[in-house]
Amino acid sequence: MFTEIMQYILDLGPSVMLPIVIILFSLVLRMKIGDALKAGIHIGIGFVGIGLVVGLLTSSVGPAAQAMAERFDISLKVVDVGWPGAAPMTWASQIALVAIPIAIAVNILMLVLRLTRVVNVDIWNIWHMTFTGALVYIATDSYYLGIVGVIVHAVIAYKLGDWFAKDTKEFFELDGIAVPHGTSAYCGPIAVFVDAVIEKIPGVNKINFNAVDMQKKFGAFGEPVTVGLFMGILLGLLAGYGVKETLQLAIQTAAVMLLMPRVIKPIMDGLTPISKQARKHLQSKFGGQDFLIGLDPALLLGHSTVVSASLIFIPLSIFIAIILPGNEVLPFGDLATIGFFVAMGVAIHQGNLFRIVISGAIIIAITLWIATQMIPLTTQLAVDAGTIAADNNILVGAMDQGGSPITYLMVQLVNLKQPIGFVLIGLFYLFCLFLTWKRARRYQLSVKE
Amino acid sequence: MKKKIIVACGGAVATSTLAAEEIKELCQENSIDLDLVQCRINEINTFIDDVDLICTTARMDQTFGNIPIVHGMPFVSGVGIEQLKDKILSILKG
Repeated sequence: MFTEIMQYILDLGPSVMLPIVIILFSLVLRMKIGDALKAGIHIGIGFVGIGLVVGLLTSSVGPAAQAMAERFDISLKVVDVGWPGAAPMTWASQIALVAIPIAIAVNILMLVLRLTRVVNVDIWNIWHMTFTGALVYIATDSYYLGIVGVIVHAVIAYKLGDWFAKDTKEFFELDGIAVPHGTSAYCGPIAVFVDAVIEKIPGVNKINFNAVDMQKKFGAFGEPVTVGLFMGILLGLLAGYGVKETLQLAIQTAAVMLLMPRVIKPIMDGLTPISKQARKHLQSKFGGQDFLIGLDPALLLGHSTVVSASLIFIPLSIFIAIILPGNEVLPFGDLATIGFFVAMGVAIHQGNLFRIVISGAIIIAITLWIATQMIPLTTQLAVDAGTIAADNNILVGAMDQGGSPITYLMVQLVNLKQPIGFVLIGLFYLFCLFLTWKRARRYQLSVKE
Repeated sequence: MKKKIIVACGGAVATSTLAAEEIKELCQENSIDLDLVQCRINEINTFIDDVDLICTTARMDQTFGNIPIVHGMPFVSGVGIEQLKDKILSILKG
C-alpha cells in the first residue's frame, strides 16, 4: 500500500509533487497552513512557467540555430537554456527532495569540524550542487551516487567560499561575506591559474586596461531585452530568414530574455520561507566574527568592472562559441547574466580588463566544451522535469552548471565515458584548485603577521 | 501617496526576491502604498521613472540622479535588517 501511494505521488510529476513536499516541509517548520499552501503553489507555478518559456525558446531559437548551422556548416545547433532553465529542472529532479537538508548537513558538519568558516544561508544556490547530483543519478541510475555527488560538490563549494574570502572582502568590500557557490566561485580557480601564468610573462604582465564606464556608453544596448532583440536579428539573418521571420524571431528572443527570470521567480517565492528559517537557525548557532555568511554571486554583479566585463562577454561568448571546434552549444539563456562566469575573475585580476578577457575567454571555452559533452544528460534532466517533451527530439544544453568542471568530473568519475577529457580537465582543474588553495594560504599568513 | 521602489539583483530571481519580501512586509506594517518593481541591475534604467528608492543586493557604483539607493544585503544575510528597515522608512517618509 505504502509503495503504491509513493509511486502514485512520484507519477504526478514534479509540478505537483514538489509543491506537496514543500507544503509538508513548511508545515514542519511551523508555518501557517495558508502560507504553506501558497509556498507550494508558487513552486508549481514556477515549473509551469519555465516549461512555457523554454518551449518558446526551443521552438523559436532552436530551428533558427539549426538553419544557421546547416547554412554555414557549423555545429551550433543546441540552445543554451542557461541557469534560468537549468535551476528549475534541477529543483524538479528526484535528488532535489533530499539535496537541501544534505547540503545544510554537510555545511554544519564542516563548521563543527572547523573545516570551513562559511555559514551558507543561501538555499536557492543549493541547486548548483543538486545539479551535479542529479546528473550523476541520471548517468548511473544510482540514487546513492547522486547524493554523493551533492556532498562532494557541497564540500568543494564551501571551501571555494573560504578561499575567495580575500576577494569578496578586499575587492568587493563585502566584509563577513563569502560567495561559495554558483558559477562565479567554480570559475574562480581558472582565473587564478591564468593570473599566475600572466604574472610570469615579462611585458605582458605589465599590460593593464581599466574599465571605462561602459554601462553609460552602451546605455540601453546593454539591457537584456535589447541583447535578446539583437541576438534574434543576428540569428535570423544568419539563418537566411526573410525580414518578416527575422523580426518575429527577434521579438520572441527579446521576450524570452524578459520573461525568464519572471517566470521562475515564483520558485524562489516558494523557497523563501525555508530560506528564512534556515538562515535563522544557522545564524543562531554559527554567528559572529569567526564566520562568513555564504551568499549568492548576484551580490558581485553590481561592481562597475563586472558590469563592463559582462558587456564585453555577451558578443565575445557568441564569437567563442562559433570558433570553438566541436562546440554545439549556442549561448543564450546565460547571456544576460554572463557576468556570473567572470565576476570572481574580476577580483582575482584586480579589475584588470586585459587579464579578465583572457581568463574569461578560457573559462567560456571550457564551459562550452563541457556543456557540449553534457547535452544528452542535460536533455534527459529537462525531459524528466517535464520542461521539454521526450518524443520530439529537442536537445538542450546549459552553460551554467552544465558546463561546470566540477559536475563534469563527478559524472565522469562514476561513469567514465571520456577518459582523455576526464584526465585533461581533471588535472587542469585540480591544479587550478591547488593554486587557489596556495593563494588563500598565503593571504591567511599575511593577515596573521 | 504611492511609493515606487525598484529592487534589483544580478538575475532578478534569488536575492532580490528576499529583499522584495521584506520591503513589502515593511510597507504593509507602516501602511505605505507600494509599487514594487523587481528586475536585474542592468534593467534599472527601464523602470526608473518616478522611482522613490532603489534597493540593490549587489554593491553598486552606479548612481541614478539623486534617487536614493540602499544596499539590500542585510535582507539576504540577515545581519543588520532593523537598521536597514529604519533607513528605508526614513527615506520613504521623509
